[in-house]
Amino acid sequence: MVDPHGSAGTAERTHEAASRGSSADATREPSRAAGNPTTVGVPTPRQDRDDESSDVAVSNEQPTGAGTFARLIGLVIFGVAAIASAVLLAAASAVGPQVEVAPREGILLGFWSVLYATAAPSARVAVSAVALAALLVSGVALLELRISNRSRRSVDAQSDPLAPKLVMARTSGVFAGPVTVTVLIPAHDEEASLPQTIASLMGQTHPPERIIVVPDNCTDSTVEVARRAGVEVVESVGNTHKKAGALNQVLRQLLPAQGDNDTVMIVDADTRLDDGFLEAAVVRFTADRALMAIGGLFYGEDGAGMLGQFQRNEYTRYSRDIRRRRGRVFVLTGTSSMFRPAALRTVAQSRGSSIPGTPGDVYDTAALTEDNELTVALKSVGALMISPSQCTVVTEVMPSWRALWNQRLRWQRGALENLGAYGLTPKTFRYWAQQLGIGYGVIALAGYFALIVLTVLSVDSWVWFPFWMGLGLLFAVERVVAVWAGGWWARLLAAALLPELVFAAFLDVVYLKGVMDILLGRRAGWTHVTHLRSAEAIDDDTITGVSHR
Amino acid sequence: MMTFPAVLPTGVLLPESILHSDSFKMLATFVALNTLMYVTLAVLKVLPKGYVLSRFSGRNRRTQNRSIYPEPPAARTAEDGVDGNDTLICPP
Repeated sequence: MVDPHGSAGTAERTHEAASRGSSADATREPSRAAGNPTTVGVPTPRQDRDDESSDVAVSNEQPTGAGTFARLIGLVIFGVAAIASAVLLAAASAVGPQVEVAPREGILLGFWSVLYATAAPSARVAVSAVALAALLVSGVALLELRISNRSRRSVDAQSDPLAPKLVMARTSGVFAGPVTVTVLIPAHDEEASLPQTIASLMGQTHPPERIIVVPDNCTDSTVEVARRAGVEVVESVGNTHKKAGALNQVLRQLLPAQGDNDTVMIVDADTRLDDGFLEAAVVRFTADRALMAIGGLFYGEDGAGMLGQFQRNEYTRYSRDIRRRRGRVFVLTGTSSMFRPAALRTVAQSRGSSIPGTPGDVYDTAALTEDNELTVALKSVGALMISPSQCTVVTEVMPSWRALWNQRLRWQRGALENLGAYGLTPKTFRYWAQQLGIGYGVIALAGYFALIVLTVLSVDSWVWFPFWMGLGLLFAVERVVAVWAGGWWARLLAAALLPELVFAAFLDVVYLKGVMDILLGRRAGWTHVTHLRSAEAIDDDTITGVSHR
Repeated sequence: MMTFPAVLPTGVLLPESILHSDSFKMLATFVALNTLMYVTLAVLKVLPKGYVLSRFSGRNRRTQNRSIYPEPPAARTAEDGVDGNDTLICPP
């Protein structure tokens, strides 16, 4: 019996891992780059909100629409998973215990004496379990497909203003010019990584028409570095809403002047685009004027030892999953996503009415994972989006367990809180299923570990079970195949199984902490690990429960 | 990982009788069922995807050019009004 997370728990979680967050953090006093001709101050959009100058005040926010349901969202999802587990336990009770088979002694390789037992579930039980799993997974997939198709074919301008047919109707016979790309790079103290990000953009086979760095409350030389690179610089002004707030300020200025085909791309300052990204994206936007967004597929950068490899394996599996979905998006990742201006304008206009948030804001500043939230927002207004396999980026991995804990706590809380804000709708169905899968995986893995620990503490010899060993082998095959593209280290780690089980257990604890934090209303704060000017430079935005400080 | 300690009379820390309790056996069955379900998902994730439905479904073929470049009027007239996937029925 192996790895309950092997095929579902971790995989589901990596979908959430697509929600790559901001590198921009706004907990310090804004810096000013006076005298820079390309540096433009952006007016503060809403003084009432930006008055909240302290980190605590910002971090105290709940997602828009927060209420009792939002507080209970984690418990609701975990509770449903627990009920499902209880049902299965009842089924296990009804099935009765497995027939114990007395261990036999065998000789392996001519000299190794081993005990083994041929115990296996009955055919009826095995078929039932397999059928139930197949039914669940196909049911979710078919329902998602049906919802997706219905949205794609919608002509309801009220609920799906960005539905393809409506966009086609609005733009029929109008040529808005060729597709252009304006890149926004939000940056908080990113002097070390920014040059590489800019270079990867300028080196594209189809370079962007504009690159705008958006320094947000920087205390380092991010502004000077950007200026030296020859790109535009638009600093945030009085922003206390981190990456989302800084981007909202710039987008408020930028969007009105953008034509239908003047796409906007958001790239994290710790991310490097692979060559061909923009060329492929421009081809897509050119071929389909109803296409509203393109999300990049990300891979983890080298380094950080085994911890880094765990994360790289996750990202590799996520990318494979998206390819197998033929590009159907889970999350328009914060590392690199492109949008048609109409998409962002529609979201801004819809906030406060059909979707949560403050009217006029593209990004919901209350969301912990603003990219995940924007994805749900766009889906909620019927936008067509895709993650083409050619659009890949390399992004950072967390260098320490502590940093990873903070990062994943933010992702987990963000994903759950977004569901709390949006509720259960057809457009959020897949995300609910994802979170339920994670919740159930937590219980399943805990049960697995409990069984192993109890058994180990109660016996002093081992019996080998060929049937379960065979299943373990199947798990190992799946784990290795899924990370094959990641290279030999990835395959080796996956084949070992146990290390990734431990990693999955770590993520489970993060999940439970996230559920508890939401339930108890604990504040979520942000920390920032600054890049070093070295090959091992690290930068990340992270979140820390205030109760931990 | 893929092994089970034996049901032998001597326990390391806990009494060996635990292994014969009903609750332990129920837990073992629960884990066994989960393992079978998750291995099913693992197999499904290894197998190549077929996309059979979409390959044969005419509704998934676009009947209109959606390029940003306007088509010649003749081409648009011929294609507009065809009730296919994402097809514009009533252009403004």
